[in-house]
Amino acid sequence: MLGKPKWFTRRKYGGWGFCPKCWQGWVYLAAILTPFILLRYLPFGNDEFRWLAYSVWGGAVILDAIHIMANMEKDERERVHEALAERNALWAIIILLCVGVAYQASAGAASGEFGVDPVILVALFAGVAAKAATNIYLDHKN
Amino acid sequence: MQTKIAKFRQKLGITQEELARAAGVTRQTIISLERGRYNPSLQLAYRLTRALGAGRIEEVFSDLDQP
Repeated sequence: MLGKPKWFTRRKYGGWGFCPKCWQGWVYLAAILTPFILLRYLPFGNDEFRWLAYSVWGGAVILDAIHIMANMEKDERERVHEALAERNALWAIIILLCVGVAYQASAGAASGEFGVDPVILVALFAGVAAKAATNIYLDHKN
Repeated sequence: MQTKIAKFRQKLGITQEELARAAGVTRQTIISLERGRYNPSLQLAYRLTRALGAGRIEEVFSDLDQP
């Protein structure tokens, strides 16, 4: 893996993910972005090669980001804060999705058609499944 | 929860940063603990007790709600 978790800090106030907290993190960020810029502007290879290179490098970057996120050091207080913040964010998302489903269903009923976006329903069911799986795992663990 | 972390720390002459490193937490967590704003897990309470050189956990932490 390229990046070290200690170079980054959890993004707390501006969404999800992480951001650099020292110069090594900024160098890493520049190093992973440079190939994308080179592939975009340097005149070598055909489109097929470019897309293959984008995919391979992009995949490596995603794997490295997952490794950084999973291994980022957090003490118990930070974990509690993160869990509460994520729970509140999820509640906001669920409420808005439910309002969206209700609006689409009522608008669909008025026009005589079933007009609920299936992606929203799948997202809600995925959330239910993830919650159930987490509770089953935790009940068995402790 | 009431703690005597600051008292023990000052007696040892170590900084919040040094105690945080010894207990494996951040300095912000030590600040919250010293101000009584965060209740630590039993595991962290033991780690802090050891890092502060206290003999028993009750010397460092006390629960005011306890009758």
